[in-house]
Amino acid sequence: MDISLIDYQSTSAAGINLDALRSALSTQQSGLRANDFPRSGLPTWIGRVSQIDDIDLGEWQSRNNALANIGISQGTILDNIEQLKSRFNPNRIGLVMGSSTSSIDRTETAYTDLNEEGLLKPEYQQKTVHNPHAPSLYVAHLTGITGPALTINTACSSSAKVFASGARWLQSGIVDAVLVGGVDTLCLSVLHGFDSLQLVSENPCRPFDQDRDGINLGEASGFAILMRKEDAQHSTGIELLGYGESSDAYHMSHPHPDGLGAKLSMQQALKMANLNPESVDYINLHGTSSRANDRIEGQLVSMLFPKTTRCSSTKAWMGHTLGAAGITEAIIALDTIKTGIIPGSMNLSELDHDVDITIQAENVEQTVKHAMTNSFGFGGNNCSLIFGQEQGE
Amino acid sequence: MSLQAKIVSVGAWGHDFRDWQDLQNLFNGLAFEDDGAKGPKPEVIPANERRRAPLPVRLAVESSWQAAQNSPFSPEELSCVFVSALGDTQLTDYMCKVLAGESKQLSPTKFHNSVHNAAAGYWTISTGCMKAANSVAGYEESVSLTLLEALTQIENEKIPMLLTFYDAPVSAVLKGLLKNDEPFAVSLVLAPHDINADGVKINAEVLQESAQWPELKNCSEQLKALYENTPTARILTLLQLLMMTETNPQRTLDLPLSAGSSMRLIAS
Repeated sequence: MDISLIDYQSTSAAGINLDALRSALSTQQSGLRANDFPRSGLPTWIGRVSQIDDIDLGEWQSRNNALANIGISQGTILDNIEQLKSRFNPNRIGLVMGSSTSSIDRTETAYTDLNEEGLLKPEYQQKTVHNPHAPSLYVAHLTGITGPALTINTACSSSAKVFASGARWLQSGIVDAVLVGGVDTLCLSVLHGFDSLQLVSENPCRPFDQDRDGINLGEASGFAILMRKEDAQHSTGIELLGYGESSDAYHMSHPHPDGLGAKLSMQQALKMANLNPESVDYINLHGTSSRANDRIEGQLVSMLFPKTTRCSSTKAWMGHTLGAAGITEAIIALDTIKTGIIPGSMNLSELDHDVDITIQAENVEQTVKHAMTNSFGFGGNNCSLIFGQEQGE
Repeated sequence: MSLQAKIVSVGAWGHDFRDWQDLQNLFNGLAFEDDGAKGPKPEVIPANERRRAPLPVRLAVESSWQAAQNSPFSPEELSCVFVSALGDTQLTDYMCKVLAGESKQLSPTKFHNSVHNAAAGYWTISTGCMKAANSVAGYEESVSLTLLEALTQIENEKIPMLLTFYDAPVSAVLKGLLKNDEPFAVSLVLAPHDINADGVKINAEVLQESAQWPELKNCSEQLKALYENTPTARILTLLQLLMMTETNPQRTLDLPLSAGSSMRLIAS
């Protein structure tokens, strides 16, 4: 595909930026804590980014926008955007954001404070915030990107699919660079929504463990800059090799029992990357720690990949960050190519008896040439991505 | 660089139209005989699921089904992209009211229906479609961005696609901000431009200049109001262009994409 990653950054409970995330991963320091989200009271563990609690963005205010603001300010993302804006034209830079909650947190808050007629008070009359497109509207405003800006809302696959759309936009030549991102924040809708489906654990999550008892919710943002390889003056040395996108056609909130949709997305990504399963050194699994997901995904991976492919779920570091999980875990997966440290599946003590894959709690030091990540969302929406070391001309 | 595709079919459901023929009649000034329906009941959704499907989902699935039926493709061959500019504000209203209270006990069905990709989910589940399904948002530019997303996918992957544009009346609390008060859905099936099938070829270019939404001309005040208030109803300007193919062989439309870019569509 020849799509290079120019830069990437991640913000979650596991670390405010990429350096902090690398450190948390290498020392197996979890960012999860007992649920202290205001007005919730649900007995569970969450991955909360406290640094955004007191940010005030005025007319753009929402917890989700605050996390986008902090997240994009890390590392060199904004510097690179400024350089690209002057090298090309802000109209030739695209933006694709993924989110499941957009800024629903702000709508929730507004409803606790309606006026006497039951309508929005002036400070909540934010039409660009109470809006599924809010993440892109805000990030375009922040960065001065004036090219096409799209928001993808496919639940928990949202910010994996941003890489597929970004790559297509570049390959069609309609833009010269694309900022892709994902941002989702904790809110009562997701905490109490997942609780209504009886999917939330009262304990720190244990993906793939025989005794796992549900998920922990978290919040995160992630950003990456993509360019056509021939246009990139510098890069991270990582490229996107393939993507797969599919549907389960089975159920709104339960995965296909045989993982048929997930199988299609992994196979498509391999085909596009022109790789055999043997060539994939590491898979960052969706691994939510729900009973159904981990068993189905684990069985599928054992059918498709050899034992030399190492696997883990990293959700015990920051929780399931929903619409931001795709890019958060894409970054964890592709960063193993740089660091040579494959994170373990933290909190795993006894592997699910029905699953037979190469997975363990401890980190492993190993050269990684090709890394894959899976993201599966409500509505049976699947996306798999494969990254590799950039090859010279 | 231009993006090409062929529009091979249309589906539609709205306050004053039940299909593409009704909508063409409306454009031509013919009156609609109101059957009093508040929303569609798409047969393709199994009965037990249909009862639980919210209005935006039923709108999207009905027009998608019509477009698929009118196309040379079966639903399971079509990758799809669904766009709602405003989201399901009635479900948002339900959730926010419950969450503002003490119990915070949400209905699990309403929660899973509240995802923006509920329409894509119900569509793929009802039709057995396992292709890529996208669900996007673009507020005022929902229509042009969705066309861009589909055209780049058709160009890169050489596949036929279903595009569905839909919005439902906005809840009382958010109505001051987001105006729409009509149910609306339009679907298009687009195929690679060289397909051997009847249709209208479109050629799209992305320009580095801003544009305004064109005025919708030669139609009723009601259609004009729908076009103004409902971002996804801006697809009506492209539909009007399709209707004029016979009288005017090449027609151009400039649509705003972002603050600094626009899409020039040429239909032939």
